Amino acid sequence: MSGNLNLLDKNGLIKKAEKISLLFNGRKIDEFEIYISASINNEIEVYNKSVESLSHSDTSGVGIRIFKNKKAGYAWINSFEENKIKDCIDKAVLNANAADADEFNGIPKENESRYAFNENIKNYLFSKDFHKYSVDEKINLLKDIEEASKKKDKRIIGVDSLSYSDTLYETVILNSLGLKRSLLQTSSFLFLNLIARENEDTSTGFSFAYGRDPGGFNLESIAEEAVKRSTMLLGARKIKSKSSAIILDPITASQFLSVIASAITADSVQKGKSLFKGKINEKIFDIDLNIYDDGTMENGFSSKPFDAEGANKGKTRVFEKGILKTYLYDCYTARKDNELSTGNASRASYRMPPSVGISNFYIEPGKINTDEIISKIDDGFYIIDVIGMHSGANPVSGDLSVGAKGILIKNGSMSEPVKEVTIATDILNFCKKIEHVGNDLRFFPSGGFVGSPSIVIRDIAISGN
Amino acid sequence: MISKNTVKKILNLLLKSGGDFADIFIQSRISNNLRLDDNKIENVSSGYEIGCGLRLIYNDSTYYAFIDSIDKDRLIESAKVVKSAINASKKVNILNLENRKTNYRTRIFNYPNLTEPEIKAGYLLAANDAARETSTKIVQVTSVINDIQEHDIIANSEGFYSENKSVKTFMAANVIAMESGEIRTGYRSYALTRGMEIFLRKKPEDIAKEAAQIAVKMLEAVNAPAGTMPVIIGPGFGGVIFHEACGHSLEADAVVKDASVFKGKIGKKIASECVNAIDDASLKYHWGSYKFDGEGYPSKRNLLIENGVLLSYLTDYKSAKKLDIDISGNARRQSYRDIPYPRMSNTFIDSGKEDPKDIIKSVDYGIYAKEFAGGQVDPATGDFVFGISEGYIVKNGTLCEPIKGATLIGNGPEVLKKIVMVANNLQFSPGFCGKNGQSIANEVGQPTILVSSITVGGTEI
Repeated sequence: MSGNLNLLDKNGLIKKAEKISLLFNGRKIDEFEIYISASINNEIEVYNKSVESLSHSDTSGVGIRIFKNKKAGYAWINSFEENKIKDCIDKAVLNANAADADEFNGIPKENESRYAFNENIKNYLFSKDFHKYSVDEKINLLKDIEEASKKKDKRIIGVDSLSYSDTLYETVILNSLGLKRSLLQTSSFLFLNLIARENEDTSTGFSFAYGRDPGGFNLESIAEEAVKRSTMLLGARKIKSKSSAIILDPITASQFLSVIASAITADSVQKGKSLFKGKINEKIFDIDLNIYDDGTMENGFSSKPFDAEGANKGKTRVFEKGILKTYLYDCYTARKDNELSTGNASRASYRMPPSVGISNFYIEPGKINTDEIISKIDDGFYIIDVIGMHSGANPVSGDLSVGAKGILIKNGSMSEPVKEVTIATDILNFCKKIEHVGNDLRFFPSGGFVGSPSIVIRDIAISGN
Repeated sequence: MISKNTVKKILNLLLKSGGDFADIFIQSRISNNLRLDDNKIENVSSGYEIGCGLRLIYNDSTYYAFIDSIDKDRLIESAKVVKSAINASKKVNILNLENRKTNYRTRIFNYPNLTEPEIKAGYLLAANDAARETSTKIVQVTSVINDIQEHDIIANSEGFYSENKSVKTFMAANVIAMESGEIRTGYRSYALTRGMEIFLRKKPEDIAKEAAQIAVKMLEAVNAPAGTMPVIIGPGFGGVIFHEACGHSLEADAVVKDASVFKGKIGKKIASECVNAIDDASLKYHWGSYKFDGEGYPSKRNLLIENGVLLSYLTDYKSAKKLDIDISGNARRQSYRDIPYPRMSNTFIDSGKEDPKDIIKSVDYGIYAKEFAGGQVDPATGDFVFGISEGYIVKNGTLCEPIKGATLIGNGPEVLKKIVMVANNLQFSPGFCGKNGQSIANEVGQPTILVSSITVGGTEI
């Protein structure tokens, strides 16, 4: 049940989009945009040496966005039958009638992008070898990882989740201003979550890998990391409430960074839903930290030459030396602020209209090794897992309160494991108190891709007993 | 949408290389989403989809494929792909498809898809005005009305055929209040498995007003205390604690994988005597209700915990078979694109005997957690976290000042044993639950309860 690369030929989709564009002839609308996506997806789950599930899909659809008297309307359909597409256009027009007019509405013009078109990045978005891996090879990769994990440590009692999925994805965007762009992407993603048990105490830990094909997946290191993360917290206890320095590993740090990411989009700022409102050119971090959103980095998993409404993507310096330099814009929010689009219109599928979102959003790594940072901490808490990030962090008010698990650091070395404590602060205070960043940058999928090295934050309230 | 004969033919084709079980899930769905933000109706969107999911189960393995079509030839082609994945000795042949019966009957008066988008836009604008009129401190209102109209046909190799038609309407308001640099938010949602008539029972204005009142009240919030203390959990959405801390671990797929703290605990005492918990997908018109589940089994009421003793898990076909227990009618799927898994529907702690006022009176020092911003749990360990979005300090048996930045953190099984009082005021609250990448409609519920001690994460140590 593997996907065939020939099933998707991009000329076919472009032709479909062109055909659809003819259906707008004679319609009383000002602008339209046709967004088509098609994908072939395979997913495999393995449990206890056998295939738990194997699924395959070949799917496509079209999203229609129209503007009429500065009002926006959207409709989508998972069929290319002409009469159905006509109904879909009708529905988009009907929907526009119910919306409010807004002078900044409309599809992007060519001169509204901050960045030049980077066509070269297209070559980094897919692997020619993608279709060379058979379903059996992928199944065996998972089986090998399961076996390797169990062998590494007696305390591993099994797998909670072990899955592989890959997608061949094609996008076409065509609009009434003459824009016509297409894109081919491949992706492979692997996720492992292990269960460890010792003396009635249970703990879980995960690892993941991604690439344009599964070729680079290193089974040993995936197993090793999940084993380490699941066993290192066994026997963890609650501690007394206190304040101390905390060290976030790259995965945990990027979860915190994703809260900052959601407050840095121009949409949330303009609507008064961001704690960063009115803070352009303010020093947010005490240290000289750089944070970028790079939509065209070669190894970036959210990289693309153009965004979800066809505007060019590029590298945006969001924080420079700790100072907030810009928000992230799509075309609508850029017009509102008299700016240019940073190419941050995004959408998860044709089933939704574009909205502002991050691409590859990351903290520039420092030069110091994380072990070296830890060796200099007398009293600290090394956090490897946070829970409740979605419920405990409020990007509007800045309140932050999440559950944490990790290891206490005493006199520069790791001591006892800790769980069931919470850390509470507010986001601006959190940013201010970051003291060091490590050299171990790592990306994590979260909306777009968020990346961070290990970070050290001084004086944070930890509550336990 | 498709003839019974074709369905039977596809099922037989799916099982041609053998297998234990096969099913077909055909779905057509119309959805509409309206969103008001920043005083404007900014987004009105509609979607139409039709598709089909084909599933084959053999031993412990599931083989699945879906297509965006119900075209007979494409279904046949897809069924051939699925069946080619196995070569089993066990053969099943379906001779007849019998209509599955259910007692769950509802009536829809006002189909949302036939309601002009302007009418829904009018509701949102009225909600916006009502929220802003509540207080001059209101600085932003975001409100949505989403509806779904769906028609499913589910048939399986056991010879059953089920047909489901349902309508769901959802409204929510998120309000931001600001005063001297402090920003607080308030959220309220209202949703039922029925049509636009839901707004005859509760006006959009009232929902937005309630959200606005929470946001304004929270402006007075003081920093939450940190430490371990008694916690009163309010009725309705407070039930999310049971959903997260207990419900997920009762989903039988977690039990099969030894990833549940409740594995091997059937018939054992897992909670205080005063705890009775139920999952009931057949509660008429409730947000998490359905006629048939994602595998076509009729919805029913399942008693999960009685007087603190664990009675049953929530199952789908595969997990029920594996554990050799009954199918509970809890197989759910987000759409035809997804494999069904055991999931909760309307899950709640049942009403007890206490007067909610007496519960507050009984606490010398603790907190009252009324609303949560959501939660998360690791089903393998039962460790959970809930963010409190509306909470108060309780001193000497009375509710005092509101608190901000508070989180409850603990372990599900431990908390269940620490529930010491259960009030008589059962309420429900609608929401969405995510699992295995699928988001589905869920309702949580409970009366006011008292937990003798939970760790409160706050900033005041």
